[in-house]
Amino acid sequence: MTFGDAWLFLQQGLLSGLVTGSVYALLALAIVAVFKTTDVPNFAQGEIFMIGAYIALSLLLLAKLPYALVIPLTLVVVAGGTALFQRFVMERVTGSRGVGVQLVIATLGLAYLLKGLVRQTGLGDTPRSLPALVSSEPVLIGDAALTRLDVAIFVVAVVTMVLIYLLFNHTRIGKAMRAVGMNPRAAQIVGIRLSRIRMLVWAMSGLISAVAALLITPKVLVTPDIAHIAILAYAAAIVGGFTSLPGAVLGGLIIGVVENLVGLFISTNAIVVAPFLAILVTLIVRPQGLLGGKPQVKKV
Amino acid sequence: MKKPGADHLALLAMLAVLCVLPFAVTGYVLYVVNLLMVFVVLALGMHVVIGEAGQFALSHTAFYGIGIYTAGLLNTAFHPPFVLSVLAGGLLAAVLGWVIGFLALRMRDIYLALATFAFGEAMQWVFLNWEGVTGGSNGMRMQPAELFGWKLTNDLQAYPFVVAIAALMLWLTVLISRSQFGSALRAVRESDVAALAMGIDARAMKQWAFAISAAFAGIAGGTYTLFISFIHPESLGFQTTILVLTMVVVGGIGSVRGAVAGAITFGIISELLRQALSVQEIIYGAILMGFMMFKPRGLFADRRRRIARATPETQA
Repeated sequence: MTFGDAWLFLQQGLLSGLVTGSVYALLALAIVAVFKTTDVPNFAQGEIFMIGAYIALSLLLLAKLPYALVIPLTLVVVAGGTALFQRFVMERVTGSRGVGVQLVIATLGLAYLLKGLVRQTGLGDTPRSLPALVSSEPVLIGDAALTRLDVAIFVVAVVTMVLIYLLFNHTRIGKAMRAVGMNPRAAQIVGIRLSRIRMLVWAMSGLISAVAALLITPKVLVTPDIAHIAILAYAAAIVGGFTSLPGAVLGGLIIGVVENLVGLFISTNAIVVAPFLAILVTLIVRPQGLLGGKPQVKKV
Repeated sequence: MKKPGADHLALLAMLAVLCVLPFAVTGYVLYVVNLLMVFVVLALGMHVVIGEAGQFALSHTAFYGIGIYTAGLLNTAFHPPFVLSVLAGGLLAAVLGWVIGFLALRMRDIYLALATFAFGEAMQWVFLNWEGVTGGSNGMRMQPAELFGWKLTNDLQAYPFVVAIAALMLWLTVLISRSQFGSALRAVRESDVAALAMGIDARAMKQWAFAISAAFAGIAGGTYTLFISFIHPESLGFQTTILVLTMVVVGGIGSVRGAVAGAITFGIISELLRQALSVQEIIYGAILMGFMMFKPRGLFADRRRRIARATPETQA
């Protein structure tokens, strides 16, 4: 590999990495937001994302609805579904002796249920992509070639992140969410209804997952296995510190770039272990993550 | 406090059935029973880390696979007495588990779940891609296990040894559970901080629990090689971890008898539904969610212990 090649690869890897990384960042945001406010590491994140993709797919290809209807419908269905899951399943689990292990198992149960349902319908047998709204004409940035679709994905992802930022910092609901994340008991004392806020946070995580699904599905084939993308999102969340929303975004972008660079410089086959290595390196070098703040001592 | 009750009767009944079985049934049934014994060992291993220590590890299948490949490769290359190859699998798994646990337990609890989840996926990738050693996606044929020149070539020959290993591991689990170490693990499960205040090194306890559970999984893998001669990485994915998790959860988190009963029940269900993968997924998913909602302590929860927990005598 000459120097010129390496430079080109670097640029390409960086830019493609930012595009895929922005989708991981969205999913990591969903994971972290839920974890912060409900203490639940959502192991069904990947499957919720996958269901979003399948809902969009079946609405488009089976019900033959136009995109203008498909997008809002998908968002509403997924967000509503996750809110209901929190309201009727997780509340109940928390109520009946919910500590960490039980909560994790409940989300694992959801993950398997969703995956099994999709497989059972047979929709997963023929992998398909969603038709793209944006053409895949190449765009040159530096020496690297992206498609217009890539640029659109990145822009929409960033806009979503900005909206989330605004939500958390400039609305009452967002502030309530943050309060619940910081100290649920104190939040309750000042009149915040925990169960409602938690439902809203789950709904938001569903919404984000659906956005991510709509963004990435024109680029990849939809199979029940796309749920595996969640591993990258978990890796992103850990790299970022697991309780930091900006950390989740940063972690997502880093994971995306690392993954693409590994793919370009080492081998596409090694991409699968990249998230594990990222987690491992983080745990060794900086276990609290990049933006996780000081290691906290749990108060009794 | 302890009286010979239902547990002992159930154990005796099980022993009797296991003794008579080889004379009464066909090879297929024996194969299923062998498999159930492997599941029992796997479930006991998961019981140690989730049930006793309250830590969440999702890499059981990875260690199970390590046990299978280690024992299988040793059997094929050196034909040692199978006891050695099974132990080697368990030991390697324990060492790896100890290292992973060391890293993952540096931060909040949940990191163990996440790191082990990623580790499980990474190991399956290794099994699939390390073609020189594991045969990659072609799978790997293994020579039959031997004991001083006597080859175990069918399910019947392996049966007594498989049952013996499972019984031994069950005994070990009960021993761990009743020891001071077991009490320390449960103290950590109930409250890190309280355990620390009593002078228990919570992090070390968690790490040991995880390493022991990995060793159990590795030994389960070694046991598998006594009656199976072919392994494919396909069967070493996350779904196996979920299956074992379902066994432990439905049986009752924190209960040894629950782990055994769950392993037998779900071992049979998974064998019956082997062809219908998606149905299995739906059933396991629904069961996991349902049990967490309505019966988080499982079917065989240890009532005695729940009461005992409040009394001072159980504190180590």
